Amino acid sequence: MSTFIASIGYGLVASAVLALAAVGFTLQFAVTNVLNLAYGAVMIASAYLTYLVNSAGVNIWIAVVVAVATGSVLSVLLNRFVYTPFQRRGTSPIALVIVALGMTLIIEFVTQAIAGPTNVSYVMSQGATVGFGSFQLTVAQYVVLAISVVAMLGMHLLMTLTRLGKAMRATSANRNLARNCGIRTDRVITATWLITGGLCGLAGAVFAINSGSFGATSTDLFLVLLLAAVFVGGPGEAYGAMLGALVIGLATEVSASVIQPDYKTVVAALILLGMLAVRPTGIMGARA
Amino acid sequence: MSGIAYYLTTILVYGGVDAIACLGLSQQFGIAGVTNFGFIIFQAAGAYVAGVLSLGSDKADGGFQMYVLGWHLPFPIPWLGAAAVGGLLALPFTFLVGRRLRGDFAAVGLLVTAVMFNLLVQNYQPLFNGAAGLSLVPAPLGGVLNSQSAAYQWGYGIGAVVLGLLVYLFLRRLTESPYGRTLRAMRDNDLVAESLGSNLRALRTSSLVIGGALAGLSGGVLVGFINLWDPQAWGYAETIVLFAAVIIGGLGNHKGAILGAILVPLGFEEASRFIPAIGRPGLIPALQWVAIGVLIVTFLWFRPQGIIPERRRILSRLLGAGADRPPVPVSVAAPVAAPVAAPVAAPVAAPVAAPVAAPVAAPVAAAAASSPVVPLRSTAGKGRGEHPAGGGAMVLEGFDLVRSFEGNRAVDGASLGFQEGHLTGLIGPNGAGKSTTLAMLAGTLPVTSGRIVLFGEDVTTVPAYRRARLGLVRTFQLASEFKKLTVLENLLVAIPGQKGSTFGGAVRGRRYWGRQERELLERAGSTLERFRLTAHADTLAGNLSGGQRRLVEIMRALMAEPKVLLLDEPMAGVHPQLAREIGEILLGLVADGMTIAMVEHELAIMDEFCDPVIVMAEGRVLAEGTMAALRQRSEVVEAYLVG
Repeated sequence: MSTFIASIGYGLVASAVLALAAVGFTLQFAVTNVLNLAYGAVMIASAYLTYLVNSAGVNIWIAVVVAVATGSVLSVLLNRFVYTPFQRRGTSPIALVIVALGMTLIIEFVTQAIAGPTNVSYVMSQGATVGFGSFQLTVAQYVVLAISVVAMLGMHLLMTLTRLGKAMRATSANRNLARNCGIRTDRVITATWLITGGLCGLAGAVFAINSGSFGATSTDLFLVLLLAAVFVGGPGEAYGAMLGALVIGLATEVSASVIQPDYKTVVAALILLGMLAVRPTGIMGARA
Repeated sequence: MSGIAYYLTTILVYGGVDAIACLGLSQQFGIAGVTNFGFIIFQAAGAYVAGVLSLGSDKADGGFQMYVLGWHLPFPIPWLGAAAVGGLLALPFTFLVGRRLRGDFAAVGLLVTAVMFNLLVQNYQPLFNGAAGLSLVPAPLGGVLNSQSAAYQWGYGIGAVVLGLLVYLFLRRLTESPYGRTLRAMRDNDLVAESLGSNLRALRTSSLVIGGALAGLSGGVLVGFINLWDPQAWGYAETIVLFAAVIIGGLGNHKGAILGAILVPLGFEEASRFIPAIGRPGLIPALQWVAIGVLIVTFLWFRPQGIIPERRRILSRLLGAGADRPPVPVSVAAPVAAPVAAPVAAPVAAPVAAPVAAPVAAPVAAAAASSPVVPLRSTAGKGRGEHPAGGGAMVLEGFDLVRSFEGNRAVDGASLGFQEGHLTGLIGPNGAGKSTTLAMLAGTLPVTSGRIVLFGEDVTTVPAYRRARLGLVRTFQLASEFKKLTVLENLLVAIPGQKGSTFGGAVRGRRYWGRQERELLERAGSTLERFRLTAHADTLAGNLSGGQRRLVEIMRALMAEPKVLLLDEPMAGVHPQLAREIGEILLGLVADGMTIAMVEHELAIMDEFCDPVIVMAEGRVLAEGTMAALRQRSEVVEAYLVG
């Protein structure tokens, strides 16, 4: 029982990291119809730049800003100079996925060429362990939870209260119609990639904090969890991604305590395949 | 043996292995358009199976590694087993390649599967010996021959290359058959291929199985040579390398796949041997991966067709070769309308169709080869009154059809029917639900609720390709040609019942299906003549003008031998004179008993050709009758005819 409760705690932290990543990924898909499989690579590139700043002596919680900025810039560039030109030319979604995989290799291995093949860790303190009973988390883990909750609230407010949020939802529903209604969809899309890129970078840094050490290809397996979270909620559904992150985060950590940790990615993969087989539009999604 | 000989034989073996794998991927991706990002697991599975089939019991060597089977079977059984398991492994993924799942979603599913399998293998020791993999895999015929000898090594290398060539010949046999044409059509536009009678799931599954078997075989060949099976070597990124190879070599042709295999997996591996180890350790391998990524992206941008582009199949030179022979009735080409038309055609056809009917509908069958030019009917054709209103039986009916898109009911309780031997018009303002109704009737879109009856049978849940085989064929509002097929191929692919359009038929070769193919070519050729597109027989459909594409689509639908034909704005973008001629052809077809429904905005066309006309608005049927009668009804005028 105690390991179960402990695993709930880890599951919540994992969900927090996943939610940051999945909401960004799913919104990119919503506005541009691209399954950006290079997402994990951008996470790692951001986490690595953060590492450079951190090892130069900047506190990690401040250095996280670097991750956000890196993620934003890289994502905007990726969309502006790779995905958009291909889409303008009428490249099919499936060819775009191949392009995304090509970009994954480029970003990951440029990072590895610079960083070297060995894993690195941030200089930071995990802080004291706080909790009740077997539910015990470090201060750093609570901070990760808090960051994620704040970011999710921010996304919620953005999408419901601001003009940009409404324009994003309109663009995601029907890009051409949105453009014809006077929405400058190009700007909306760039803004979306800027914001989701920020989430992506933040997710990278938080992922690195949570996993202790990381290397250039560390997010390859994380991508499976990310895709599972996105597809559980329905691709393109921001709130679905939050729910999916919670489901996948808890399911993988609880299963890790029951079966064995090596199989948690397998559990996520099976859930993803099940969703694809039964309801590829996700729990929250409706688009065919 | 000498170092250089060892090096050369290794290159031969790797070249053969990579070529076989790339050929398998080329068949799947380049020909059939199935994006299998899990391709590498099929190779890994084949290698494992070949390994455990040739290894003895895992207790033998002191039990230092664990695995299953260990049957110690003689060559070539392990290789055959590798191919078989590679093929069988594809079957569980059938659920990912049906029509309902977007191609990129299915690809993601397969990618994730590859990652998952790799994890399972590395962590589950009893079956796969965990991350350590297998070692001491016996070389094929190692018991009889000295596998260390130079002659053996050369033999293995040459054997691998010869096997690669055999695979190439086998695949070319498939690709150049009607089966290959059907696969390429599905690749270019799966929805349309399905609406013409292709079973997408079966075609994709067969492609997964063939590609999987070849991947497995390549793994078997490899493991017999290196005598090791290392799970780390089968990461998902290796699949991307193979994709890079077939993209760079050229999609849609197997020579390109072989060239790609030589350039990318083999070329990169070999090139890296000669690069001095500069920089920090691991720098060169990292840059290699970067180079693969750059190659993929730049090729897809600058030369998406690859180094060797897909060949355009020139079929028109085969036309006319058999024109002087007496036309041989093909079983599938039995006069289209015959069974349906018998009772109806007699009274109806007499006045209208006399001059047209024979050359037009049966065209397709007997008259084809003998009459080189079919005259188009030149009368103004104000003949709609000749149809006895409500004459024929209903052959296709929809009851209370509803289709919602995210809560918006595009079709909201529409009930309508189409009479046998009539050209029914379907009009209504934009957004009235006409195209959606058509799609539900044809089965390309599932109904939210309601019932569809075809020839008296409920077909509501029957998939589109089976409805097409029952004689219900539709065209699409948006351009839907198979872009990388020639016009002639576009027509040929639609003809049902081709001997060579199944995997089995294709394997039996041209001798089996060639004769029928020539006859079908004549049919397609005469249809082209009737629509005056003979000059474009060998043009890639993707290079035609908008109006020409519409014609290709109509011709293609006719080649599918429909009993009921649903046309979605067939005349949009077509020259008015030609539109009129199409209308005449359609009249000839209905006179012969075909049932046609046509969505069209041009009321003059409706006036001239269609009776009855159904008016739709806001997802429902508003009225039905002759155009003249409809013009008298105020609600119709308000909804549509104003202005």
